[in-house]
Amino acid sequence: MHYRNRLRKNLTLATAAVAAAVLVAGCASKAGSSGGGGPTGSGSAAASKAPLVIGASVSLTGDFSDSGKGVQRGYQLWADTVNAKGGILGRKVTVKIVDDASSPTQVVTNYQNLINKDHVDLTFGPFSTLLTIPASQVAKRYGYAFLAPAGGGPDVFKQNLDNFFFVQPAPTTQSGDVFANYILSLSAADRPKTAAYAELDDPFSAPIAENIRSKFEAAGIQTVYKQVYPSETQDLSPVMAAIAAKKPDVIIGGTQSEDAYVQVKSLVQLKYSPKFMFQSNGANSPLEYPNKVGAANTAGIMSSADWYPGSKASGSDAFTAAYIAKFGGSAQTVDDNSAEAYAAGQLVEAVAAKTGKIDNATIISSLHSGSWPTVLGDLAWGANGAPTGQYSLVQWQGGKLIPVFPTDVAQATPMFPKPNWGG
Amino acid sequence: MHALIQGIILGVLTAGVYALMASGQTLIFGIMKVVNLAQGAMVILGAYLSYQLFTSFGIDPLLSIPITTIAMFILGVLVEVLFLRPLRREDRSELSLLVTFAVALLLEGFMSVTWKTTIRSTNTSYANSSWTVFGYQITLVRLWAFLLSIAALGVLYLLLNRTRFGRAIRATVQNPESARLLGVEASRVSALGFGLGAATAAAAGSVYGLLYPFNSGSHYDLISRLLSIVLLGGLGSIGGAVVGALVVSTSSAIVASTISPSWSEMTFFVILLLVLLIRPQGLFGSTSRGAI
Amino acid sequence: MTATRYLGPARGIAFFAILASLPSFNLAHWVLNIAVFTLMYAVMSSSWNLVGGFAGYPSLGHAAFFGIGAYGTALWFQHHGITSGYEPFLLLPLIGVGAAVLGLPVAFIAMRTRSDVFAIVTITLLFVTQTLAFNLRSLTHGAQGLSIAVAPFSARTYERPFYYVLLILLAVAMLVSFGAMRSKFGLALAAIRADEDKARGIGVRTFGVKLLSFSISVGITAMVGGVWAYYEGFIYPQFAVDPLVTIAIVLMTFLGGRATLWGPVLGAFILETAQQTLAYSLGGSQFYLIAYAMVFLLVMLLMPRGIVPSIQDGLRRRRRRAAVDAPGAGPQGSPADPKSRNARSAMSTVKGHA
Repeated sequence: MHYRNRLRKNLTLATAAVAAAVLVAGCASKAGSSGGGGPTGSGSAAASKAPLVIGASVSLTGDFSDSGKGVQRGYQLWADTVNAKGGILGRKVTVKIVDDASSPTQVVTNYQNLINKDHVDLTFGPFSTLLTIPASQVAKRYGYAFLAPAGGGPDVFKQNLDNFFFVQPAPTTQSGDVFANYILSLSAADRPKTAAYAELDDPFSAPIAENIRSKFEAAGIQTVYKQVYPSETQDLSPVMAAIAAKKPDVIIGGTQSEDAYVQVKSLVQLKYSPKFMFQSNGANSPLEYPNKVGAANTAGIMSSADWYPGSKASGSDAFTAAYIAKFGGSAQTVDDNSAEAYAAGQLVEAVAAKTGKIDNATIISSLHSGSWPTVLGDLAWGANGAPTGQYSLVQWQGGKLIPVFPTDVAQATPMFPKPNWGG
Repeated sequence: MHALIQGIILGVLTAGVYALMASGQTLIFGIMKVVNLAQGAMVILGAYLSYQLFTSFGIDPLLSIPITTIAMFILGVLVEVLFLRPLRREDRSELSLLVTFAVALLLEGFMSVTWKTTIRSTNTSYANSSWTVFGYQITLVRLWAFLLSIAALGVLYLLLNRTRFGRAIRATVQNPESARLLGVEASRVSALGFGLGAATAAAAGSVYGLLYPFNSGSHYDLISRLLSIVLLGGLGSIGGAVVGALVVSTSSAIVASTISPSWSEMTFFVILLLVLLIRPQGLFGSTSRGAI
Repeated sequence: MTATRYLGPARGIAFFAILASLPSFNLAHWVLNIAVFTLMYAVMSSSWNLVGGFAGYPSLGHAAFFGIGAYGTALWFQHHGITSGYEPFLLLPLIGVGAAVLGLPVAFIAMRTRSDVFAIVTITLLFVTQTLAFNLRSLTHGAQGLSIAVAPFSARTYERPFYYVLLILLAVAMLVSFGAMRSKFGLALAAIRADEDKARGIGVRTFGVKLLSFSISVGITAMVGGVWAYYEGFIYPQFAVDPLVTIAIVLMTFLGGRATLWGPVLGAFILETAQQTLAYSLGGSQFYLIAYAMVFLLVMLLMPRGIVPSIQDGLRRRRRRAAVDAPGAGPQGSPADPKSRNARSAMSTVKGHA
């Protein structure tokens, strides 16, 4: 799946390469003009009416390009919304988005270039998830605040960067905790007794399931099966067959996207439907999931989300309306990656409104105190940039993804046991 | 024990489609001494074509195979004529690795422009049907895929053994020099052979799309598997490709069912390394090559 | 023709003098950053050329050793502190020697096969290495990746130590190539490339020579891996052991010209800088891949031997014409003339290769 596909993405870069052999051959680097030196917020002093340029590197080519484009749409949508209101502190916002093609070397180059070549005013984090750490280090070196809508794994927070803010309700690996909390809130009679875990070997998938597992085991829910599978696994039927043979009450999938679909497909073929089923990702995609597993098979499956259609969070209705107006579709087709990117923008806007300033130092110090309303709910961070909130539990009911837990965001009661496959 | 047998069943059923893909690749090598790194991309293109025919016109992938194979046959001939024929004989085997890799990229670029990079799967009405036989799970779609692959291999066999064209190909594979003396035109055989390899890729692609979700980047996973199979069986041997496919898919399915999917890729790479070190020409390869 | 005799070394000295003085022009960070990545690939192409070019063994497994170097460095500094920031560089010789020693048994096994089978055996080794990096979780942390402490260099001169270390590695790699082109060792490699069986027949110790060239080559590659890991600060198996790194190296060497001193370096300078700058400035469109593949195909079909040999051919033809115009003044034929040697080894690449 994705990492092999990097091959392609990087070769995309190399495209550039040979194209250069032809095009650039003579045109020597027109750069080399400006000397080094840390431009921490220095550009902003120049002219108060100069546009506010925000730079971000996103994977626009390759396997994650669909999500990457979602992020790009979110940034753009936010910039348009803000500019319609007259910009930030009178400055028009422009978002400069460059492609990293999911390459760890390209992402370093991109942030170097954004900061030291184009002297952007602010930086937002990259999408794809594995590139956040090298990118945030470059931003840190030059004193830039780094608002990252993706890549909130444990190692990112271990770096203890004070300029780093993960723009989601909680660290990614804790996104399944809300499911564990929900299960443990059930009465002893309703609570599952046995659990099986199928986990994608990826820093943002398996750990989610592992966190749930440790909570379940502490509460006495027996682990009857656990398997980690690598990302290039095409055939999950051996794993799912082994799970079905154990007849667990709850199946937890530490999934990314296609593996979530394959898990469900296999279980349908095996005719085994557990009482509860949770998938960390893939199942929370309102558009793709029913398409891939068949709408009737989605009923009762749970996942977690930070934004979902019909969210009551701050500015969510305006965001949804603007998204539909600009890109068409319906609330169900709004990309949650766009919402996360949009939230990063909302934070910048909120800091400017509160402090009257928009430099990196102000953003860093402001975001470290208090909580900040976004389309993802109110966000607050610890010293290492780890958000302190929690995700919402969503469940497929009647062909729609609906928040069901915790109660303050719930729009329906959770349905259990999960209906059999096909409805 | 149950898991082991289930693994073997799965492995054998999956082997069919890989045997089909690999037979095309090994055929191309046999005729032209070219390792076709674009074979995986051609399979995925075949999968997209039958996906498109299914979603736009409702033609079942199993029925669209004649259409996709013909289309891909033409494409294969074009690739040979445009990109491989101009290579000089001396450095053909090495440069062809790069050229066919470039063709793979070209196809991949074309596919990601045409179908985007979203994961697709061909969801037929019978995609989720299955039977349980003596407690073992057999899915209808896998069985279909297996039978179809066997049928396609049968057609390939007949084509190679019962037609004049097939005899010309086999003569070229066995001895290019004497084939030329017998009036077989090597360049024509090369073009048609490459076309035939592409056509088998198309058939395999239709089947592959039924079994697995795919996108334009899926060919990287395929090609490493295909190379293992073809080398294991011996480059140029179709029988070897079938055996190689069986060994590779059953061994990895068994390891996945009984130990862990994390080690299943490793298993066949290790088998391959061992075989190559003992018999560099593969299980069924002829000894004459290797020094080229 | 003393002028031409010293042209080679003089060119090398000038080249390195210019590169070494570059950072003192106070170049922008982003320029140095691209230079760092370019040097990485120049070193790796140059060292790949020892095996893939001179010996004619197209290894696709070099990225495995790049990854071993990266993991070696990252793992060492899980247990040792970084204070001055130069420790990872001081570790490099150890990484290089370690990888070179590890390369011996690998070469011993893999180099029993040749040509395309060798290519596939080595890429198989690469996938095995990657799988191990994923699965030996207690050692490598698997898919979770490994971090290395951030270098405590000041932001103003952050890239310079990396740059100079890579420059030294490039000098080493090119000196080895230079030496290989004019020594018995190099002759033996050329003989292996041309016809290994015949070479063994006339008493060339082919096996030892092959092993040595592979071992040196992967040792240098691993050192680059170590520098890369330190520069990135965090490594994942799929990036550290990446088939793409191998493919990039091979492409660069082919583009510049196999079995030449300057070809791999030229190829790396063109491809890597172009890649880094164009990907940044042009952004993503799926048409890239198509355009890339087309250009790639064109280069392969029109310049199958690479840039340097093609230019040398052109120059030689010109000179020959000049020599015909002015009889008796022909410079070529002098055995010490490095250019004609270069050209000759390029010729044998073409002829000897299959």
